[in-house]
Amino acid sequence: MNLFQFCNGIIVWLVELVNNLWYWLGDVLPWYFGDFFTGIGDFAGSHGHIVVMTIVLESLMVIIVALINVLNFIWLDRKLSGRIFDFYGPYYVGYRIGGWLQNLADGMKLFVKEIIVPAKADKLGFLLAPVIFVGSSFLILATIPLSPNFGIATNESGEFVTAGVLFAFAAFAIAPFSILLAGWSSNNKFTLIGGMRSAAQMMSYEIPLLLTVASVVLLAGSFSFVGIVDAQHDIWFAIPLFIGLVVFLVCIAAEVEVTPFDLPEAEAELVEGWTTEYSGMRFGLFMMTSYLRGYAGGALATALFLGGWQGPSLIPDEIWFLIKAYTVFVVIEWMRWSLPRVRVDQILELGWKRLLPLAVLNLLIAATFKTMGWFSG
Amino acid sequence: MLAEDYMGVAAFAVIAILFPALVFLLSRYLRPDKKDPRGATTYECGEVPIGHAQIQFHFQYYMYAILFVAFDLVTVFVLMWAFVFADLSDMAKFSMLAFLGILLVGVVYALKKEEIIWI
Repeated sequence: MNLFQFCNGIIVWLVELVNNLWYWLGDVLPWYFGDFFTGIGDFAGSHGHIVVMTIVLESLMVIIVALINVLNFIWLDRKLSGRIFDFYGPYYVGYRIGGWLQNLADGMKLFVKEIIVPAKADKLGFLLAPVIFVGSSFLILATIPLSPNFGIATNESGEFVTAGVLFAFAAFAIAPFSILLAGWSSNNKFTLIGGMRSAAQMMSYEIPLLLTVASVVLLAGSFSFVGIVDAQHDIWFAIPLFIGLVVFLVCIAAEVEVTPFDLPEAEAELVEGWTTEYSGMRFGLFMMTSYLRGYAGGALATALFLGGWQGPSLIPDEIWFLIKAYTVFVVIEWMRWSLPRVRVDQILELGWKRLLPLAVLNLLIAATFKTMGWFSG
Repeated sequence: MLAEDYMGVAAFAVIAILFPALVFLLSRYLRPDKKDPRGATTYECGEVPIGHAQIQFHFQYYMYAILFVAFDLVTVFVLMWAFVFADLSDMAKFSMLAFLGILLVGVVYALKKEEIIWI
């Protein structure tokens, strides 16, 4: 049973339950009210509306799974940084489960904090920037399936969109725009410099990122996640395209702005970078979204290079996918807490002079393999 | 056909945009709202900021922008090329590689000429 069928079952059951009420009201009430309620029942029970409601429920479930993973990621990040820096990390709130509830407590705290809008700020841009950033980051998850059965499909067959990879990376690329908007509209020198740095960094690391994606697409001959993962049935792309995996991880770290590449929010220079003026829940969502992007990056690396949901069938497919995504995230976090920050000029040099040639080399290797006929796809 | 396939993504996009909006709306009813002119000043570590921040900002952008636009277009071509790679003739494969090679020469030239492309 795939996610669409599961959600469809729930929706059909709910609609029938509620329709009993509408039709009962339609029987009992006088004709003009009665027709109205019968009309509501017919409207809700028609095929198109049930499909739409099913899709909405599917989206909500995907978002909820993502949010639970994000909570885990934040907890894992704090615990790991504690281990590496030799302190405890969160342990007091939710003592029995290793301080896991600390994230929820912090979220509640941010939720009830006052939001301060600077007097000089551009109000509309200041409000729109977090909405665009959070919305576009959620949008990355729209096409990433956790398994052939768990993803957003629009009919019973459970087939996903065919250009899923393109869509995910397109959604990934919207963020610099909102970051520039946040930096500019705050009307603060720190946020301005942070936003500019962030836009430059994200855009320059996008190119090697997309070139490594092109090498994966080349070997798999498909733009859909299911096609790419199926093509890795015999061998994970991480092995023939090892250079690509390394380039991809470095680029993802730069796109997510974790420490060796966190120049846009370098605490020692720019207070908090482009989020300096944000407070309360707006800051909270920015913080949560940066981990959400980490999750999306880990999921993309898993699907493109580490064989996606494939593994011994002892464990369900979705759990395999998440295990691999968590592993990628832990590697990124390990890098984050052990490496010093890269200097401003070095970061673009690394992007243009090291990663770009490596990405092109990786593309050539992929083309060679494909021409030799080792990957029929 | 296409619209039907992508309806799930469209519904997801609507929910994704509504999520932050709903969170902000909900937070509006839970948080205190004590306006204080001292709180609304621009944060600059306690100093009163001199001038605006929305100024003409020296951003060594020119070479960087050219490089980025050129390469972003190239990645679109490369993605399409990679997608149909198996069905291409040898000539098409090699001409794309030649195209990439010319662009790499261009990048090397641009970086040599500009020397500093930091922000």
